[in-house]
Amino acid sequence: MRTLLGFLLRASVVLAATALATFTLLWNAPGDPALAIALARYQSVVPAEVVDQIRAETGLGLGFWTAFQSWLGAVLVGDFGNSAVTGLPVLPELVTAMSYTMPLGLAALAIGMAISVPLAILATRRPGEWLDRFAVAIASLGTAIPAFWLGLLLILLFAVQLAWLPAMGARTPSHAILPALTLGLGIAASLTRIIRSGILEAREQSFLPALKRRGVVDRTIGRDHIAPHAAIPVITVLGLELAFLLEGLVVVEVIFGRPGLGSYLVSAIFSRDFPRVQAVVILTALVFVAVNLVIDLIYRLVDPRIGENDA
Amino acid sequence: MKLSFTGLSVERSGRNILHPTSLRIEAGERVGLIGTSGSGKSTLGHALVDELRTLGQSIAHVPQSPDEALDPLRSIAFHWREAERALGLDPNAARQQELFHALRIEDGDVGKRSWSWSRGMQQRFVIAMALIGTPDLLVLDEPTSALDPVVAASTMTLLREYLSKRQTAMLLITHDLGLASRHAERLLVMQDGQIVEDASTDQLLEAPATKAAQSLSTHRSWLQLPC
Repeated sequence: MRTLLGFLLRASVVLAATALATFTLLWNAPGDPALAIALARYQSVVPAEVVDQIRAETGLGLGFWTAFQSWLGAVLVGDFGNSAVTGLPVLPELVTAMSYTMPLGLAALAIGMAISVPLAILATRRPGEWLDRFAVAIASLGTAIPAFWLGLLLILLFAVQLAWLPAMGARTPSHAILPALTLGLGIAASLTRIIRSGILEAREQSFLPALKRRGVVDRTIGRDHIAPHAAIPVITVLGLELAFLLEGLVVVEVIFGRPGLGSYLVSAIFSRDFPRVQAVVILTALVFVAVNLVIDLIYRLVDPRIGENDA
Repeated sequence: MKLSFTGLSVERSGRNILHPTSLRIEAGERVGLIGTSGSGKSTLGHALVDELRTLGQSIAHVPQSPDEALDPLRSIAFHWREAERALGLDPNAARQQELFHALRIEDGDVGKRSWSWSRGMQQRFVIAMALIGTPDLLVLDEPTSALDPVVAASTMTLLREYLSKRQTAMLLITHDLGLASRHAERLLVMQDGQIVEDASTDQLLEAPATKAAQSLSTHRSWLQLPC
């Protein structure tokens, strides 16, 4: 119970700080926000009166704190407001964007796991041998390659040269293959390194020789003792992987011209659409906090020593 | 069942850390293996466990600390069941109850992980687990050095009571001549990777023949401790 209260307190601090930080950044970015909104709304140069009118109706003329408070007050009762550009409510747009982004993110995570887990297990069969060194080299390379570059390479190879897969849009499931692969390969690279070192470290534990002397066979030791210990660092980095994933989603959605949270955020930032930007940021922060809570719970389940220190 | 092997040796990075050693232990005999740190006691212990097991004998080994025997992520019950399975035995509640009672750990919650038990209870659990298959020989490698003297003494007493009714022999590896002389009827003195003296406990305490035994004997003020 105390843990739950503590968690809720921490979560609200994170959310409030994130909201304030984004609002501050957006407010203080160079250029007139009202003008940016006007340009996005009318797609052409507009007279100064129209800009002033927009400034008044969006509350931009009220000053920073007043504007932030009126936005926060509405959000606290579940109202994310309307877009400053289109005037449409933000929440349904957000739901639509999520319906594209969530499956892509999950597919990327699945690809990452499907590659990294078997690769790490194979690599650690004979540490230091060619397969292990190959896996480490590929993983280091994969971590070093940025998503936007890998995405372009994949488009060049599979869409332009081979013409196997579509490069842009999101009409069919096959449109999701290249973006998911772009993100998934990046995740696979970092997870392979973590799982590999997790397995190698788990093998060094002091109680393993005693298990062997007790007659427990290697396969059982691997499954019941090495695997759970190797999983702990993986669970730890999954939270960080999510941050990496969210960042990658923005880039990948823009490169592949996909609708979704990332491209929605980018267009909202360019048009200084405060309600949209704030909504996306709050939503991603919420997802982040929720996933970290789940990770924390799994963590305590696997290794209850972690929760002991809180009591 | 008599246990014996000959010419057992261990080499590590080109150096002989255990010179060819032969040993015979009678059924139910209680032997102490003493020597200073680095004399090769534990090496001999590990080597003879592995050697005798390949010869088809049932040997159990208890390491110095429960941390070297128990997985902190797994429950006590899991370890017990795993040890039974490793010996090819079916779960047997009566056997578990008997051993838990003999080592006074019947009050412990087996659903918990080992680290929520006291260290004394953990070590007694490890000893109980070693006795599941009623082995011919129980090798104890400094079994009480991670415990305080009072817990150590009671643990050894419980174990001795349990073994006295059975044919299981015991090899007690320790640097502590006091502990060894209290619980073993025969002592082996080790130095530089070989057994330099093999005598009955009384004889070794009264007239140690080698320098190694003499120096262990002179530095045994802890003989007065309750363990």
